[in-house]
Amino acid sequence: MGAVRVVQLAVLAWLASAIASHEDSVQYLVTAPQKPELQIGTNFTATCFIKNTTEVTADDLRWKYAKGEIPPEQYTKISETALNVTITVTNETSRWLFCFIPKNSEHVKIDRWKYYHGINLKKGYLPKKPENLTCKAVQYKMSISQFLHCEWEPKHQQPGDFSTFYKLNVHVLNTEKVFNKTTTESSADIDTETFPSFMTLEIWVEAENALGKVESEHLRMEANSFIKTDPPSNINIISEDSFPTSLLLNWTRPIDKTHVYLIYEIRFAPNGSHTWSHVPQADTNIDIQSFRLQNLQPNTVYITQVRCKNERDGYWSEWSNNSTKRTPSSKPASKPDVWLWHISESADEEQVWLFSKEPEFANGEIIEYQISIQDSKEKLPNKNMWEKIRVTNPNADSSTKHATSLKEIDLREKRSHIVKVTAVNVKGTSPVATIVIPEKENVPPPVQKLEVYPDAGKLCVEWTSPNSTAVSEYVVQWTRAGKMNWQREKKGIRKTSVRGNLEEFVRYNVSVYPLYSGWIGKPLHVETYFEQGAPIKGPSVKLNGKPGSTEVHLVWEEIPLNEQRGFISNYTIFYSDGTKTEAITVSRDTLSYTLKPLTRNTRYDTWIRVSNVKGFADGHNHTFTTVKYAPGEIEGIVVGVSLCFLFVVVLTMLICICKRDVIKESFWPQIPNPGASTIGTWSPDYHIKAETSSENCLSGISVLDVDICDGKSVFEEDKACLPLKKDKYMSEEHSSGIGGSSCMSSPRQSVSDSDEGGDIADTTASTVQYSSVVASSGYKGQTPSLPSQQAVFSRSESTQPLLESEENPDMLSLEGSRQSQRFPPESLSHCEGNSDNPNQVEIEAKTLDFCPVGDDSEDRQSDDAQSHEWSTTAPISSYMPQLGGYRPQ
Amino acid sequence: MNEHVKSRSLHLCTHTAATLLSLLLVMVFDSTKATVATQQCGSTLLQTLKLARFAQKESVDIIKTYKASQGDMSEIICKVSLSGLPDPNISGLESSEQMSSVHSSLQEFSPHFKRVFDQQTDLQLPDSPLLDQLSVISRRSLYLDSQITVLYQQLFPNSPPLGADGGATSLPPPQNVFQQKVYGCVVLKTYKEFLSNVSKYLRTLKNQMCGINARRINMFF
Repeated sequence: MGAVRVVQLAVLAWLASAIASHEDSVQYLVTAPQKPELQIGTNFTATCFIKNTTEVTADDLRWKYAKGEIPPEQYTKISETALNVTITVTNETSRWLFCFIPKNSEHVKIDRWKYYHGINLKKGYLPKKPENLTCKAVQYKMSISQFLHCEWEPKHQQPGDFSTFYKLNVHVLNTEKVFNKTTTESSADIDTETFPSFMTLEIWVEAENALGKVESEHLRMEANSFIKTDPPSNINIISEDSFPTSLLLNWTRPIDKTHVYLIYEIRFAPNGSHTWSHVPQADTNIDIQSFRLQNLQPNTVYITQVRCKNERDGYWSEWSNNSTKRTPSSKPASKPDVWLWHISESADEEQVWLFSKEPEFANGEIIEYQISIQDSKEKLPNKNMWEKIRVTNPNADSSTKHATSLKEIDLREKRSHIVKVTAVNVKGTSPVATIVIPEKENVPPPVQKLEVYPDAGKLCVEWTSPNSTAVSEYVVQWTRAGKMNWQREKKGIRKTSVRGNLEEFVRYNVSVYPLYSGWIGKPLHVETYFEQGAPIKGPSVKLNGKPGSTEVHLVWEEIPLNEQRGFISNYTIFYSDGTKTEAITVSRDTLSYTLKPLTRNTRYDTWIRVSNVKGFADGHNHTFTTVKYAPGEIEGIVVGVSLCFLFVVVLTMLICICKRDVIKESFWPQIPNPGASTIGTWSPDYHIKAETSSENCLSGISVLDVDICDGKSVFEEDKACLPLKKDKYMSEEHSSGIGGSSCMSSPRQSVSDSDEGGDIADTTASTVQYSSVVASSGYKGQTPSLPSQQAVFSRSESTQPLLESEENPDMLSLEGSRQSQRFPPESLSHCEGNSDNPNQVEIEAKTLDFCPVGDDSEDRQSDDAQSHEWSTTAPISSYMPQLGGYRPQ
Repeated sequence: MNEHVKSRSLHLCTHTAATLLSLLLVMVFDSTKATVATQQCGSTLLQTLKLARFAQKESVDIIKTYKASQGDMSEIICKVSLSGLPDPNISGLESSEQMSSVHSSLQEFSPHFKRVFDQQTDLQLPDSPLLDQLSVISRRSLYLDSQITVLYQQLFPNSPPLGADGGATSLPPPQNVFQQKVYGCVVLKTYKEFLSNVSKYLRTLKNQMCGINARRINMFF
């Protein structure tokens, strides 16, 4: 051990000095070995030397990785100036290993970099042994390529810092020929100059990297075992009429037999089939160039392929191109497949269409069917009653592939029909196929339960057998719009899949018929889809009638079957007023709906969404606007209002009729007839006096125009008043007949205001005639003994009522005390009265008896009271129009 | 008398037994030999025979290529005979001698192939298929020679091994173009004839060594 240690020290010392000679001479630490190539998983020992300084010793040395210091337990002190460290190399081991001095002396601080030295660790794995070495030489033109392609594993480089180089060696045994090629890949093409046919080759791969070298197993085989030739060419198939079940194959070998001794493999399949049949290898395990395929189906197109390889080892060539040939025909070997399709059914008659598919073993193109239909009530079938139906365009209709429409027959009630069909080709006639269509009353029972569902890309049909055990087979029929197809199943079958080209999104009606020794049983039907899809489009909605004010009645039609593409689950009605969209879902059976409540006079968009399990489709928008009033609503309102109005009118009229007396009293009170008054006798001299008085007191007359009535009434009043106006000049004693003034004027001579005033009254129809008493003395008539007290009556044509304030100044200036005269409303209203009631007149006359001029001052108190009472009703009496006109007094 | 008869009968029985024993031993030996032979014919001999036939096919092909590449006089130049070429016939009486003869001839052909290749390199375009084929048949002859050597060692292990160099081969002196063409064609024709003889020889040897089994195996050969 000691000697070894000495040698190690010597070597390290030499190494250190050698490294030091190349490194900067002022470096105080040196590590060794530099750039070591390490195998992951092994231990590695590095040494750190101190040189050119005595400031530090080995005790001061430390080792560390890039990220952390190595524990001192892994150190080995070699000498005062050398320190070893031993580490285990792993994948995680950092690339650099450093030796340094952690001491913080001044010397170290100044030259810290000189107390630092590292080792670059290169680590990796030994190369893996190449395995699964395979080599291949392909055909080139009419010989074998000189390049041998070899592959091996591993396919990828190992992790680590070392690249693995592979050296492929090919030694032609018993010669000095050794070919090799080096690569970093896992395959190589090696040039053998001339392919060493029939020579034994020894092939191996050497994998080598910085850590070592390893060899693969040596592959020792005859060179021809690596050959992969081209496939046989010119495959020629011969069909011989005398051998309808056989085809003869010839081909050309891809390469001369002196190069390679080939064996072959042949496979064939009927056209359209995806299952190959292989000729037993023992039959083709020899170098042949022809072969006869046997036990084939007549009149069937077969696809054939051939491949070859070296007789013992070697690689199979690719399969040759497809070669097809039809076997010769022979007479049909099985019965045609006859079936019917009910096209119409009524109470007493039923029509069916007969179809026939080619026999399973038609063995040739069916050119004709022969059909015989026998009624059950016919005694014996006529053997010569076979009807021949030529097959004009076989397989033309893809939906009824291989099916030929035979004929349409009417089934008579209460009779069963026996249908017999044979298929004929150029070589002969098939066995007879028979089906029996039973009479309606005696149809054998159906299958008990039928389920149809898509599963794994097929449409599965599952049923439960009928109670009867006499079922001989089943027929599964599927129809779509105008098309029908069927397939037969054996009696033990309860579940099958439809063997036909079913289209997606098409609704099929699948039926299962049990057959009882040819008797067709009652079917069971199910509607289904092979695959559902979202509807193509939604229904078009329209309004039934005109839109109402708060509701509309929508109707739509079911979308066509080909656009439904699935079973409709529901409809959703959408309607939107532009701000809010509402949706209502209704069942699939619903094809109309009343939308309500809607907003009046609002524009709506509505559309229908049809949904099925796969999605939905929206129909076109339909826009409508609700009306403001529903039809008849306006009429209703008008009628209602009219009825109310009528009711009010009638009610008013009734009230008027019932209360006419009250109304009459209220509106047309009794006016005392001045004519009947006791003071109705006027002396003629008054006229002169009055006239004089009138002239004298003309300045005291006030004329007011008041427009209180419509022109018509006033006009008529004026008309009524017109005679008065005319008469007023003829009789000065005539009262103006207006309001309370007339009351005042009754005992006195009444004088119209002026001629102009009459004219004005004529021209101003709306004026109300007022009279104002302007006399300054008492009643002349009542006090004939006092002639000095002549009152002057001036008629006013003013349209304004005479207000007290307007009257007073003049009145005060003229008469003074006359201002205080007031009359109760009754008296005023009587002014317009034209009642002829003498009693009333008398009453009025009596009332007037209490209004002497002389009493004014004396009865002021009572007048005030009367004035107060009158003032509350004065406007009514003051503005009262002269409806009654004037009565001639 | 009885003893004499008895002794005579005993002698007869002993003789018969010895004869049967000898026959049995011969049969055992023969069967052993046949087994060994069958093992041999299943690999190297058949392989060598196939290689010889393949080389012969190549020699036929190269003569066609050679004639096609030599111009109008190709038929004439191939009818000329030359001396100094290896003997296409196989010499020797014993099978080992014949095989040794094959080996020697193959070695003799090698320098001739090289000479023809050099001459045709001057006469043909660089991409001429003839040059490639000349290279191929030259290498193939080496392979065949190595197979003959191995076969010889397997069949005649006690015989002295075949020489590696086969002795000195005399090549023709420098030739003009016509002579070169004639020389090349004669070499190839001689080689083809030689390979034909080798194939025959090996087939005979195979029949001897492998018997019916070999014939059955190579019934399509």
